Amino acid sequence: MYLVANINVEICASKSCKLCTQYCPEANTIQYSETMGTDKGYKYGTAYIAVDRCKGCALCVWVCDTMAKNNAIKMIMIDQLPMAAVTDNIRYEEKTTVAVLSNPMIVIGN
Amino acid sequence: MSLDYVKFSGGFEKFMPKEYRDMVEHGPFGKKISVSQMGSFKEILEEHPMCAGCAMTLFIRLAIIAFPNPEDTITVGTAGCGRLAISQAAIPFVYGNYGDQNGVASGLSRGLRLRFGDKPKDVVVMAGDGGTADIGFQQVLHSWFRKERFTTIMLDNEVYGNTGGQESGMTNRGAVLKMAPLGKKFEKMDMLQMAKVAGCAYVATVVPNNPRRVESVIKKAVLIAREVGSTYIQAYTSCNIEYAIPTDKVMEDAKTVENDRYQFTEYVSEEAKQYLTERYGYKDYLPKAAAPAAAIPTKA
Ligand SMILES: Cc1ncc(C[n+]2csc(CCOP(=O)(O)OP(=O)(O)O)c2C)c(N)n1
Ligand code: SF4
Ligand code: SF4
Ligand code: SF4
Repeated sequence: MYLVANINVEICASKSCKLCTQYCPEANTIQYSETMGTDKGYKYGTAYIAVDRCKGCALCVWVCDTMAKNNAIKMIMIDQLPMAAVTDNIRYEEKTTVAVLSNPMIVIGN
Repeated sequence: MSLDYVKFSGGFEKFMPKEYRDMVEHGPFGKKISVSQMGSFKEILEEHPMCAGCAMTLFIRLAIIAFPNPEDTITVGTAGCGRLAISQAAIPFVYGNYGDQNGVASGLSRGLRLRFGDKPKDVVVMAGDGGTADIGFQQVLHSWFRKERFTTIMLDNEVYGNTGGQESGMTNRGAVLKMAPLGKKFEKMDMLQMAKVAGCAYVATVVPNNPRRVESVIKKAVLIAREVGSTYIQAYTSCNIEYAIPTDKVMEDAKTVENDRYQFTEYVSEEAKQYLTERYGYKDYLPKAAAPAAAIPTKA
């Protein structure tokens, strides 16, 4: 098993600064969704990870902890993630993305 | 090279992978996008084998987003880590022998001008410090002296990363590396000064811990190279493997190096300033408004 980044929606949506989306070295990996935050009643959207693309470097953890001062990102073993976003289940819209969460072990294992 | 090259041929759309469809429908082609929208559009850089947490990867990602017209851009690269990612973007990529990138780009940009006339087709070279300052040095300098109109970007990780840690001309004096165990004996080459002496119209240093600045520098360099002359960007893009930087500290290292030897510098020739102002509406280079008369001290 290996570590991937996981963003706590509640903590991120309180700030939603989008900094991590600009610092992840991998393209199309930290995505942004308006609805994932607002659907849950938060004022803003949230960043989230396409875990099948994450290389586990934890650079985003430093960015959120030190630059954004928001501590919303933690590294988690991929099989310990209950539900997560994967590329196949992400849809692009005009100014946001929408992700249907799934069990990454089942989707990536396919 | 145009918007058409990414579109689907009739009837083929349903056979294309999701990533490709996303890129055609929600990618940056033909639109104005910026780093502030990252995370909400499909980037044209795809998965690649560069190391986890590599700052060079981040820089390449930002650079591709910053290209003013990605659908009219060709990248040129050479041996070294960067090509592993640059080649995985939906932008034509030319890869020659190690060190010949600026020679290839000279011919390419001239050929494109013959073929397409005034319609801008941007040529951007991205190569490592070894490829640029050592092996490709002669061709780099000649392309600058000849004022070839394309952008050269040095991905400066201060080492030969792809081949396991030999020193390059851009390695700092005293640095000990796996394949330079006694430490480097000479100073880091001053390629910025050389670029200015050779007549580049735009010369800038940048570090990827400031994405907006990377974007602004790349845009200016590419636009100036369309008409005015050669442009050069030197980017610090650390190698976390050869310098043993923990991946979660890569941006901290970038900040330290920025404060130490990679402060932001930008040289824009007078001709390039005028061109950016008149052609692309840049406000930065307008003459400063004259001080109001009342503010000028007068002798009583
Ligand atoms: C003519 C030739 N000599 C040597 C090599 C082997 N080689 C491949 S990459 C590389 C070093 C690359 O270093 P640099 O240009 O600094 O790029 P980095 O990998 O650090 O990004 C070398 C020596 C080659 N491919 N071709
Ligand atoms: S840096 Fe932190 S707070 Fe900002 S968008 Fe990313 S996860 Fe959310
Ligand atoms: S751990 Fe690294 S690859 Fe994964 S989302 Fe964070 S910055 Fe990106
Ligand atoms: S060897 Fe160094 S420069 Fe090359 S991909 Fe790995 S971390 Fe990046």
